[in-house]
Amino acid sequence: MIIFSKVNKWYGEYQALVDVNAEVKKGEVVVVCGPSGSGKSTLIRTVNRLEDIQGGQILYNGHDVYGVDSNLNTLRSRVGFVFQNFNLFPHMSVLDNITLAPTKLKGLNASYVKTKALELLDMVGMSHKANAYPNQLSGGQQQRVAIARALAMEPPAMLFDEPTSALDPEMVGEVLSVMKSLAKEGMTMMCVTHEMNFAREVADKVWFMDAGRILEVAEPETFFQNPTHPRAQSFISDIRA
Amino acid sequence: MLLNVIDILSQYWELFLIGQYPHGPLGGLVNTLILASLALIIAFPLSVLLAVARTSPYGIFRHPVTVWVYVMRGIPLIMIIFWTYFLVPSLIGRNISGFTTMLCTLVLYQSAYLCEIVRGGLQSLPAGQTEASRALGLGYFRTMVFILLPQALYNSIPSLISQFISIIKETSLGYIINAQEMTFAANQVNNQLLVKPFEVYFILAVTYYLLCFGLTQLAQWFERRIDTKRQGDALIAT
Amino acid sequence: MSQFTQGLEKVLQGDYLDIILRGIKMTLELAALSWLLAMVIALSLVVIRLTNHKVAVAAVAGYVSYHRNIPTLVQLMLWYFGISSLFPYELQMWLVDQNAEFIFAAIALGLCQAAYFSEDIRSGMRAISSGQTEAARALGFGYLRSMRYIILPQGIRNALPSLINHTILLFKNTSLAMAIGVVELTYATREVENYTFLTFQSYLVCTLVYLFFSLLLMFCGAIFAKKLNKVYAR
Ligand SMILES: Nc1ncnc2c1ncn2[C@@H]1O[C@H](COP(=O)(O)OP(=O)(O)OP(=O)(O)O)[C@@H](O)[C@H]1O
Ligand SMILES: [Mg+2]
Repeated sequence: MIIFSKVNKWYGEYQALVDVNAEVKKGEVVVVCGPSGSGKSTLIRTVNRLEDIQGGQILYNGHDVYGVDSNLNTLRSRVGFVFQNFNLFPHMSVLDNITLAPTKLKGLNASYVKTKALELLDMVGMSHKANAYPNQLSGGQQQRVAIARALAMEPPAMLFDEPTSALDPEMVGEVLSVMKSLAKEGMTMMCVTHEMNFAREVADKVWFMDAGRILEVAEPETFFQNPTHPRAQSFISDIRA
Repeated sequence: MLLNVIDILSQYWELFLIGQYPHGPLGGLVNTLILASLALIIAFPLSVLLAVARTSPYGIFRHPVTVWVYVMRGIPLIMIIFWTYFLVPSLIGRNISGFTTMLCTLVLYQSAYLCEIVRGGLQSLPAGQTEASRALGLGYFRTMVFILLPQALYNSIPSLISQFISIIKETSLGYIINAQEMTFAANQVNNQLLVKPFEVYFILAVTYYLLCFGLTQLAQWFERRIDTKRQGDALIAT
Repeated sequence: MSQFTQGLEKVLQGDYLDIILRGIKMTLELAALSWLLAMVIALSLVVIRLTNHKVAVAAVAGYVSYHRNIPTLVQLMLWYFGISSLFPYELQMWLVDQNAEFIFAAIALGLCQAAYFSEDIRSGMRAISSGQTEAARALGFGYLRSMRYIILPQGIRNALPSLINHTILLFKNTSLAMAIGVVELTYATREVENYTFLTFQSYLVCTLVYLFFSLLLMFCGAIFAKKLNKVYAR
């Protein structure tokens, strides 16, 4: 579904991604972890070209993301993306946040879109707030709406960049449980997160990154019990401590 | 065209700069500046008093000032000029010059706008300042005079300068009641020349532009200074 | 007192009332037309500036600086007496037939106010977090569409208080048009005063009319701001 091959990225002199080769298969849940500044956000943002790369290739659902013929906006509308700080549109109600893209970009029928949006809201447990405005919601509620907004475009895969890091501890659970139910339904997911319990329970693969490289790719059990790379070993013992 | 401009300037620069002085009344750019400065100097202290009244907890002070501010902000400057021109002579019993009329008008009008600026400055101070001062045992007036006003006035220096720019621009309305100032002078020049209106008003516009643009830069410089100072304070506070 | 009310009645009757009403109509038309012109230009200026092209940014900055640093009255006179004199003779004659004072007043006021409006909107847009653009892009909205649906609506909302203030200023500034002979409310009031010598009464009527419309604008602005604050506080 998402294939990185020999991906290299520089911010000026600084190389943020170094020869990244990896693949997220269809229906797979991949958790990307690693120390701060290791390039996790950079990597996930290259998939829908919120960051450009300077070398290598990324295939998304069979399309070359950086190919000359790919239409950037069409590509982005097919990638579900969830931000750390939600980025809901504050001037629109919850429902309008969700229906905006399907109606304006796909030109779908408004009442059909609305029915679908209400279903999605129901799925994330937010249907009672359909007419509220984002600032009237808690962080956890906003993030669940943001997930529904991304799902409304029916993307073949969902990307999450630290979706729970901006939340108070008591709200982390409600967002993670939405993500878990998504995973159960077979959604292809790539998640940057520090929630190691989520990784253990839900992930099919864990990617460990440091200094712009993917140093280890493993099943969660193996990764947490017997990490092979020394950097991964010290990372694991750090989070245990 | 540029030649025409230089020509007009070399012939009439005195009229633009000082009006008919010394053979007649002082006017032109110099009088524009005198008028604007006097207006600011008189209106500013007045506006501080108004602002204190407008933020006071006592309705008898607060309500009249609030009404005053809304009225002044709600009617055009020209109308206030006409009112002054009509009312002040009948109040003091003798005629006043265009210059004095304009000065009175600007003081009345700007006292309301400046009051809102000072009030904004007062209200944007953190509530902790009042609380700390009151906790030390300072009363309402001492808190106002020693703690709140100094900070509020310092923070509103940039707005004061931009208000001075507004005043300079507003003095141009003196032309309507024949007050001696730069726009009036330009019209005198235009009436003497008759055939070069564009050049004359172009010179007038450029002069205003240079004056006000210079002051804008000054205001921005102050703003940057105050910002750096605030950031410094914030660093100390954390 | 009865003398005063008699005077007031006289001003508010027959021909004099007619003059005042026509003045009000002219003031409102001038305000509406120049407001529209100002808004269209302001939005264009904002969009041009957003291209971040060096020349474009400098041009817009120059436009704004020019119009903010020259008295509105002088801009009016420059247009009406100055710039119009550079037009070809036929065009000048044609304009005279078309109520030239009104046209030039609308142009001068509109162009001038556009500078203020564009600065209001620009600072309103600067207050929007970069995450908004990113979220719009991530959903697949291109530059123009994210502008239209996400950035501009928020920017205008942020800018609303200063837009209202500047609208009131524009409304009041229509009175400057009397200096070039537009028969708007202030001009009309002077006429009534000239005929009747009822200075106090005619000024009072005029002042109250201006005050009514200004307060109406302030009131609408306050209601709007309150409504927005309720649903939209950051
Ligand atoms: N716009 C930028 N310009 C320059 N350097 C950048 C930029 N964005 C990120 N970097 C650098 O790239 C590196 C990787 O950043 P990235 O945000 O991907 O890290 P991360 O793994 O997501 O960290 P965190 O867990 O703190 O979010 C960091 O060293 C960062 O300083
Ligand atoms: Mg990150």
